[in-house]
Amino acid sequence: MKRSLFVVFSVLLVLALSLGASAQGVVTMMGVWGGQELEAFQEVMEAFTAKTGITVQFEGTRDLPTLLQTRIAAGNPPDVAAIPGPGAMKEYVEQGALVDLNGVLDVDTLTNDVNDAWIELGTYKDGLYALMFSADIKSLVWYRPDEFAAKGYAIPTTWDEMEALMEQMVANGDTPWAIGLESGAASGWPATDWIEDIMLRTAGPDVYDQWVNHEIPWTDPRVQEAFEIFGKITTNSDYVYGGPITVLATNFGDSVAELFTDPPRAMMHRQASFITSFIRDANPDVEIGKDVSFFGFPMINPEHGNPMLGAGSMIAQFNDNPEAAAFMNFLAGPEAQEIWVNRLGKLGTNNKINPEVYPDDLTREMAELLNQADVFRFDGSDSMPAAVGSGAFWEGTLMYVGGEDLAGVLEFIENVAVDSY
Amino acid sequence: MNGQRLKRKLPQVVINLVVLIAVLLWFLPTLGLLITSFRPASDVAYTGWWTVLTSPLKFTQYTIENYQAVLSTGGMLTAFRNSFLITIGGTVIPVFLASLAAFGLSKLHFGARGFFYGLIVLMLVVPSQMTFIPVLKLYNMLSLSGTFVGLWLVHTGYGLPFSIFMLHTFFQSLPDELFEAAHIDGASVWTTFVRLAIPLSVPALASLVIFQFLAVWNDLLVALIYLGGHQSVAPLTMRLSSLVGSFGQDWHLLTAAAFISMVVPLIVFFSLQKYFVRGLMGGAVKG
Repeated sequence: MKRSLFVVFSVLLVLALSLGASAQGVVTMMGVWGGQELEAFQEVMEAFTAKTGITVQFEGTRDLPTLLQTRIAAGNPPDVAAIPGPGAMKEYVEQGALVDLNGVLDVDTLTNDVNDAWIELGTYKDGLYALMFSADIKSLVWYRPDEFAAKGYAIPTTWDEMEALMEQMVANGDTPWAIGLESGAASGWPATDWIEDIMLRTAGPDVYDQWVNHEIPWTDPRVQEAFEIFGKITTNSDYVYGGPITVLATNFGDSVAELFTDPPRAMMHRQASFITSFIRDANPDVEIGKDVSFFGFPMINPEHGNPMLGAGSMIAQFNDNPEAAAFMNFLAGPEAQEIWVNRLGKLGTNNKINPEVYPDDLTREMAELLNQADVFRFDGSDSMPAAVGSGAFWEGTLMYVGGEDLAGVLEFIENVAVDSY
Repeated sequence: MNGQRLKRKLPQVVINLVVLIAVLLWFLPTLGLLITSFRPASDVAYTGWWTVLTSPLKFTQYTIENYQAVLSTGGMLTAFRNSFLITIGGTVIPVFLASLAAFGLSKLHFGARGFFYGLIVLMLVVPSQMTFIPVLKLYNMLSLSGTFVGLWLVHTGYGLPFSIFMLHTFFQSLPDELFEAAHIDGASVWTTFVRLAIPLSVPALASLVIFQFLAVWNDLLVALIYLGGHQSVAPLTMRLSSLVGSFGQDWHLLTAAAFISMVVPLIVFFSLQKYFVRGLMGGAVKG
């Protein structure tokens, strides 16, 4: 008994040691991707390996911020990582953890091929610290063209028209919106997207930036107004399917399903471009682009036009070595992005991408919408310090929809913000 | 007389009822998970699992697609192998060391043993999260991060205080006279440990093995921190968590994945369970 245990143990030890040995020509990368995303990125990595002979070891985890921070503190960050957003990027730069990409990428080609907006997002303190690999646009309202046509609903282009449309739907016995805020530990983020979209349109991009950078307090009347416009919909069971309780208790990915019941339980759903994958999962028969389509979130204050809210995959480099540099250059180019956008329906940032690679007309349309937008702003909650952007802001929206007093909610977020900036 | 029997029986009924309710309460979420794992994603999005109960025999509403999807993802076999490697090492080492330490602390007479025992039990209150960064720094220095050996050592460290505590309690319940008799018969300390203490404590060891096995098998966080997530070393928990997209897409696959990863702990539990019950009593009651 004991001898056999000993044998098993020595075999294990030898096996473990042999596995632990690391190979040459390897880039390590960390990211949040899983499922289809991971499969798509694997193709990107394979293309890179085929081209350069360098292999990429990808670590996927949905607890990326925690894990990455631990690794940075312990001194073994991955060579490259897909980071959550500009807020996180700034924190890493402050810690001295990132490599300035000005010395890594071919800056001339980059400024030629990539919109200034994307470069600006990765710029901090005179250095370029992150590469926008792909984008998702968020200011989209999903609807069913057949239902709209049958009931004589017109697509609104202004908020007044939107409110009129909502009244028309209610009078018709339809519920305008389907909203779901549950998302596990990240519950509340869909609401922050709503409020950001409204804020961009009522107060404009400049005030939006001041808000994100905490140059105006959360108790500012303009922030309050944005919450109230959102609250007018979510707290009224005429306007949103199921009322506030359903809004709080429904998973964001499931809530879009209300559009496809027979008869539909709701008419519209505001969500980013990636919602199509949820629609396909739950309703394999639905043809995206024909049975379901989108229009841009309408403008509210004409002075500020029609800004576009979005997010994207930002990639930063943590270790200065030639293999990592080669990989960053590859990701910046059109070849890698073409694979990625083709598999996932995301929007590329490199202008040299062949539009043919987008999987369907709808995605091409989004790419166009992104290019046409007067103003692009990165998801505000992803740009704020984590304690606010992925903490108090999420929580505050849930408290507000749950029926708490708005002034108290904003004061709560403000208190956290004062400590975190 | 009838009344007396009723009085004696009543508490029994109450106890049974309470146990039954507790079992149902604990079982319900697992049942829901099991049913969900056999439902197609489109049904899951619209109706709760309990809707199945209205017509449980309608077999068209079930599918094994979720299980097929999980089992056919690349790298599942590697993940199983890694999980086994990690768990066997992470169980055998701490249990072996803990039995030595607990034996010494309870049956060998030396000066500061109360102090050392207290120190070890005190470790139970240190949250493992506090140790991540310093230990990882040390591991980077010794190039142990990303290796199974490193992970075994970490699991040993995190598992030892509880293991020693549990086995110590058990060894304490073994009568000293037994060991004195063996000593008088000329047995060395090592012989009394191997020939006397270990055979007598099989129930306690078995339950400890179950505890430690489950803890290591189900661990995701410690493996993520010390091992990193790339596929050649990732255990099952990590592989399964990456089935879900960054926005939680495909979460219905997790229901099937949960049951697949439960198979091994269930086998371990059922094969050791007859010791398990005895083992828990073993430490508490003097026989």
